[in-house]
Amino acid sequence: MATLSINSVRKSFGAVEVLSNIDIDVEDGGFLVLLGPSGCGKSTLLAIIAGLETSSGGDILIGDRNVNDVHPKDRNIAMVFQSYALYPTMPVRRNIGFGLEMRKVDAKERDAAVNRAAELLQIEHLLDRKPGQLSGGQRQRVAMGRAIVRNPDLFLFDEPLSNLDAKLRVEMRTEIKRLHERLGTTTVYVTHDQVEALTLGTKVAVMKDGVIQQLADPETIYERPANMFVAGFIGSPTMNFLRGTLEQAADDLHLRYDGGTLALPELAQDVAHFVGRTVVAGIRPETLNAGPGAATLTGIVDIIEPTGPDTMVIVNVGGQLITARLGPRARPVSGQSLTLSADSAAINLFDPDTGNRI
Amino acid sequence: MAATRSRSKLVWDIVSYIVLIGLAFICIAPIVWTFLTSLKVESDIVTRTMHYIPPSITFENYVKLWNQSSYPTLVINSLIVTSTTVLICLLTGTVAAYAFSRFQFKGRTQLMLGYLVVRMFPAVLMIIPLFIVMRQVGLLDSTFGLAVAYTSFLLPLFVWMLKGFFDAAPKELESAARIDGTTRLGAMFMVVIPIARNGLLATCVFVAIAAWNEYLFALMLTTSTGSRTWPVGLQLMVGEFQLPWGMLAAGGMISILPVIVLFALVQRAMVAGLTGGAVKG
Amino acid sequence: MISNTGPAYSSPQRSAFDRYNPLRWIGELSETRYWMYLLLLPSALLICAVVIYPTLYGMQMSFHEMRINRPGLGNGWVGLKHYQRMVTDPVFWVSLRNTAVWVTSAIALEFLIGLVAALALNRNLPGSKVLAVLILLPYFLPNVVAGHMWALMLDPRLGVINDLLVKVGLLQGYKAWFADPTTAMAAAIVVEAWHSFPFFTLLLLAGLKGIPTDLYKAADIDGAGALSQLRLITLPMLKTIIAAAVILRVIGLVNSPDLLLILTSGGPGRSTQVLSLYAFQTAYKDFNFGYAGALSVVMFVLLMVFAWAYVRLSKVNED
Repeated sequence: MATLSINSVRKSFGAVEVLSNIDIDVEDGGFLVLLGPSGCGKSTLLAIIAGLETSSGGDILIGDRNVNDVHPKDRNIAMVFQSYALYPTMPVRRNIGFGLEMRKVDAKERDAAVNRAAELLQIEHLLDRKPGQLSGGQRQRVAMGRAIVRNPDLFLFDEPLSNLDAKLRVEMRTEIKRLHERLGTTTVYVTHDQVEALTLGTKVAVMKDGVIQQLADPETIYERPANMFVAGFIGSPTMNFLRGTLEQAADDLHLRYDGGTLALPELAQDVAHFVGRTVVAGIRPETLNAGPGAATLTGIVDIIEPTGPDTMVIVNVGGQLITARLGPRARPVSGQSLTLSADSAAINLFDPDTGNRI
Repeated sequence: MAATRSRSKLVWDIVSYIVLIGLAFICIAPIVWTFLTSLKVESDIVTRTMHYIPPSITFENYVKLWNQSSYPTLVINSLIVTSTTVLICLLTGTVAAYAFSRFQFKGRTQLMLGYLVVRMFPAVLMIIPLFIVMRQVGLLDSTFGLAVAYTSFLLPLFVWMLKGFFDAAPKELESAARIDGTTRLGAMFMVVIPIARNGLLATCVFVAIAAWNEYLFALMLTTSTGSRTWPVGLQLMVGEFQLPWGMLAAGGMISILPVIVLFALVQRAMVAGLTGGAVKG
Repeated sequence: MISNTGPAYSSPQRSAFDRYNPLRWIGELSETRYWMYLLLLPSALLICAVVIYPTLYGMQMSFHEMRINRPGLGNGWVGLKHYQRMVTDPVFWVSLRNTAVWVTSAIALEFLIGLVAALALNRNLPGSKVLAVLILLPYFLPNVVAGHMWALMLDPRLGVINDLLVKVGLLQGYKAWFADPTTAMAAAIVVEAWHSFPFFTLLLLAGLKGIPTDLYKAADIDGAGALSQLRLITLPMLKTIIAAAVILRVIGLVNSPDLLLILTSGGPGRSTQVLSLYAFQTAYKDFNFGYAGALSVVMFVLLMVFAWAYVRLSKVNED
């Protein structure tokens, strides 16, 4: 087990820069999630950590060892691929033990290690089958078995759940979390699924166009997004953006938008220098409630979408559409006026010019 | 509406069957007729009244062909040339197909296109210089020389076809193997080539059939019975005797038998390989 | 944190034996960035030796006097002599015309039969797998045998096709198909079409399988009949495959004289003489390698121009 340091890693293909100056440190036993839309460079970064791609600059350190010029097989890492990459011609037993076979571990010891890993993943009964005879979830487990059997310093996961159906994905997500808590191996996990990122990661790096937008623990990422990209990428339904002018009235700040004002009594940011300018208020749908309160928004109900546990209400507030996540029994009527109270402590203000949190 | 729907489907199904059975008959009829002819005695072939079913069945044509002509030698020569061609393609073409399938490098597209354009070169334009060169290096009129000449058009085909089969194996497999501790060489031989073995077999069979069937190069580059292949020998019989139809038919049947058997065995993988590149554009 | 599966396994140490193990040595080579070039080297060298070098040699040969049976003439440089001779050589022009007829009619026929067969096979009716094998078989048969089979069936004295046609009443008496200049080319085209139409079936069938069935369902709902579906969906979706198949077939037909050499040797007269056959006979019978080279070069250039124009045109149509 080891720490992982990524120091100013860059990668360009010709003139195209796919990664620019990536700096991340992961503590021993940490779980780093690289999150972003496709094409953001997260998989390239993972391949560089694995040694499958070379970087155009910067260093990768596993433990205290600089591994820039170390062959993947000598980095003592294990990787789980999106397509699982199980060797179709070999039975499961040999698939899991292949890394040990290549390291000339003798057959007896190898068998014991394979059996231990299989037991941990509850796939002992599958050991003599070929990958082609397994279901998606079983293949996933075998791929994980292949990773844990060598007891590596570092686990690398490349979108391991994206080929599974929704139900299995949730199950395997829990399984991965349980495994990580049990083994405590430092892990890097690439995904485009924000729920996976928030549930699994001890640290989440949100990436876009080869640049890290925010590197923080899941809570901070969710509650205090560094910019409007992160704010919009994380959360479902996505964060509401309400545009207006920041005004100072007596000792209270408020946001004047088309058709009303929103009081901001408990704002968590120091925004004094933005008074009188246009700002964007980021409001999570679940922080809005029906009925009056300290900070209120009033608008006309546009659409109601009951989802079972919640009712999504889309309200037209002076021409801007705001989604509120209300209780299952809330049944406002389309076309009627509705007052929503906001938790102003949960509101984030962004600079519309840079997109950054003020 | 529903009734006319299913009725028009039924009509088209019947039309399809008629077309398919008709075409299959046209495809098979010459082979069947040749087979029947090979079983007839000479007097039943050359006759005023056409015998559709042989009045008497004889294997005399086969026996005569095998015992009284150089046909056995020709077939053995063809076998040597064919297996040598396949071997050369396997040794040089497999790794080339692998490189094209797995690596991005400067000039890759151009080189692959080059392997394709090579097939546009007229056979005659290559045969004449090959004739001169082979005479100089002493490979004229040798089975090995002929096999080398065959690679000129079969190796590019082999590489393209096999590349398609390699492409079907996910690239992550090599990454997994290299992390598991193999070198790139190990990943290629232990993981990717075993997966593509059916494709490799189909590609080899395709090349083998083409080499077995080839006529023009063989006609030009071999001159004696020591290295002549069966298509040349069969064609020469036309001149030697007065159109010995029975023996020609027997020779034809013997020579296409391995082709039919091989084709029937691996046709599915072979068809997939032949069409793979075209579908992808 | 529970410790789990045992010790960490690191890479084995190298033994003295490994240093002399060639596999290990090549394995290490495979990790360098020259690896792909090493993989390509054997085949590239071979192709240079048996394709590129002979072709260049053949091209320069076309500017030299080179007659194997008349060494007295020497191997001197004759410039464009062979090319000039071609302009006034009536056989060249007849061959050129015959090549055009041979290639276009054979391909038109092969494409039509191939398309019909592919459409019928694509319906996946029970038994069509077996029928497909039978229909594809001729393509894999040798030219020599294909030629003899048809020569036997079209024989003027004992040909079964003559017999059938007479019995049906289409023919007065047995006909010598390959001896009559008016029918020799047509008969050869029929044999060629029989031999090679499966090539089109093969490629078109693969193309048909790639067309989403939803398109036909949508067309059904919109009320398009079978023929308009063929015209508006199937053929446009097959365009690239058709283009590729036609190009490959044109190359094959123009370049290889095999079948005509076996069936007619260009006769009777010059009625089935095509360019490739003329070049081959110039080399093989007259041993005039210089002129044969020049004929091949012209054929190659014509082929290149055709391929270029064809690709160009089918691209323009796409836009």
